[in-house]
Amino acid sequence: MSKRTSTIFGLLLVALLFGLALPAVADEALDKAFDALKAYDWGQDRNLLKAIDDAVVASHDDDAAQKALEGQLAAVLKTDASRAAKDYVCRQLSLIATAESVPALAALLPDKDLSHMARYALERMPAPEAVKAMRDALPKTAGRTKVGVVNSLGVRRDAESVAALTALLGDSDKELVGAAAAALGAIGNADAAKALGDFQKKAPEELELAAADACLVCAAQMLADGKKTEAKAIYEALLKTPDQPKHVRMAATRGLLAVAAGK
Amino acid sequence: MNRESTRSTRRRFLGTATAAVAAPSVITSTALGADDRPPASERIVMAGIGMGGRGSGDLRNFMGHSEVQVVAVCDVYKSRQQGIKNHVDQRYGNKDCTMHTDFREVVDRDDIDAVVIGSPDHWHALMCIAAMKSGKDVFCEKPLTLTIKEGRAMVDVARRYGRVCSSGSQRVLGDYGGLARKVQSGELGQIHKCYCDPGGPPRECNLPGEPVPDDLDWDMWLGPAPWVPYNAFRCGRAYGLGGKGFRTWRDYSGGMMTDWGGHKFGGAMFALGLDETGPTEIIPPDGKDYQWLTYKFACGIEMYRGGGGPKYEAAQGNVPGLTWEPPTHLLKRDYRGKGGLSGDVLHCIKTREKPFRDVEWAHRVATVCHLGNIAYELNRPLKWDPVKEEFPGDEEANRKTWRPMRAPWRL
Repeated sequence: MSKRTSTIFGLLLVALLFGLALPAVADEALDKAFDALKAYDWGQDRNLLKAIDDAVVASHDDDAAQKALEGQLAAVLKTDASRAAKDYVCRQLSLIATAESVPALAALLPDKDLSHMARYALERMPAPEAVKAMRDALPKTAGRTKVGVVNSLGVRRDAESVAALTALLGDSDKELVGAAAAALGAIGNADAAKALGDFQKKAPEELELAAADACLVCAAQMLADGKKTEAKAIYEALLKTPDQPKHVRMAATRGLLAVAAGK
Repeated sequence: MNRESTRSTRRRFLGTATAAVAAPSVITSTALGADDRPPASERIVMAGIGMGGRGSGDLRNFMGHSEVQVVAVCDVYKSRQQGIKNHVDQRYGNKDCTMHTDFREVVDRDDIDAVVIGSPDHWHALMCIAAMKSGKDVFCEKPLTLTIKEGRAMVDVARRYGRVCSSGSQRVLGDYGGLARKVQSGELGQIHKCYCDPGGPPRECNLPGEPVPDDLDWDMWLGPAPWVPYNAFRCGRAYGLGGKGFRTWRDYSGGMMTDWGGHKFGGAMFALGLDETGPTEIIPPDGKDYQWLTYKFACGIEMYRGGGGPKYEAAQGNVPGLTWEPPTHLLKRDYRGKGGLSGDVLHCIKTREKPFRDVEWAHRVATVCHLGNIAYELNRPLKWDPVKEEFPGDEEANRKTWRPMRAPWRL
């Protein structure tokens, strides 16, 4: 073998070995980060988890790698890892979670400390299983935790929640009632409109503005969906309400103008 | 009983007082409008929410206008409440200014016409929207928002209720206006490239917990952001990305990208007439073809996060795809009223015109900043639809356009 050929062969061998070594190094760093995650808490060096951060971002074009990462992350939620560790997991899952992670996240919804971060991931997941999990969590949650779930159902415009949300309009917890009204407004279908129309007529004083706003949001949504007659009815009902604040009357009037303009 | 009928608003009292209501035995000269101040019925009654350094400075700017009457201040630090109240009371020669920790008490008052919001960024959208839903006009410090969807929600509410909603940045016209006019008039030619470097993106925070100071409502400071233990450097007012202030941390701010982005990208988008649209591609630096974060606009303009700026480079010869033309119609867009940005806001409150930093334009600027941050986070080129305001076909990136809020907060 000539000297030139030997040199080329040697360089190719080094490149091959380097190429094989890189993923191994990366796997080792990821394993180390997951180990660190088990004992992770507030105040520790955030860079301990950097390999996971990088792997999540890099997995965008690698379904298999992303699925593996998702599974590893979701598994942490079932352990006794710290709140900080589970907070971190939920943040990562908020980017890559699929229906596979829903059970692990759903289990956290009734937990007053972890419910928000579970929603941090669930609310943004397009998977219908995610919104179902939040809907199913309604009877399992209370107080502010329940308010958060209601808010997320509103963001997702979950039409299947309308009956449950309508029932909440009669709750003694005014914060929950306000949340339910807002969620119904965001959902903006005929059933939501009916519930809000009834609610708006008898809303307690401290929720009158919230009820009016929910009706306006509902009307705007119905108009956007092409339901001009229904939207018009909502706006007219608002204008007929005695002593409606000026800015609400203005909003209802603008709504009627939008209906008339065919927008 | 309906709120409107039980309330006795300032204007309703002055407009509909009857014999059954006892008239005050003394009507002060300030109420009648002495000392070059308009009578009480013509004043714009304001409150300040988020009274740290910037917020209290803004409130003082507004108080410099004779037609403004500040009646309430709000901050999650009791010490700041007292500090700004002292200033307000001294200005008006009384002790009438009320102090609040919960901004909802302020927005619920029907004697307040407008609010000045100077809280940390993660609160901006919530406070603005709450105020507008209560019928108030708003001045909110830049950056307008923490996420893209917050901005659109703010615009929707402002338009729904016909509210005046202005963001900040006195630099768009103040510092960068001279060059902007040259761009808008065509004096600099057909612009192809623009350079703006506001500084970098935020990062994740993992500071250890500390005892919460007695005068701070930590839960209220956090608001919609995820719960974490208190640390002075998490919520500090230190400027920049040095890790000693809230602007460093992604949960509360878009870093310097949004903080100075409100100025620099704001100046550039105003100059170029791009503040009713957005880029169609956002490309992070890749060490090869792209040295800087690059925004590409449909008109052919390329904007780079780099090179100081705002600076503009004209095309040399014909550039394929470059359809940008000088937005000469913007030469007429200026502050209204007297007294810079605050004067503009007050003028528009009276006339119901759109302010110079109208919420839609400010939202478009903040969106450019957020898009850059998302590109940095995801570390890949992104396509953006500025009309639908989404990443077409990119579910992962679309998850970054908003953040689920901690209860009870919602937009």
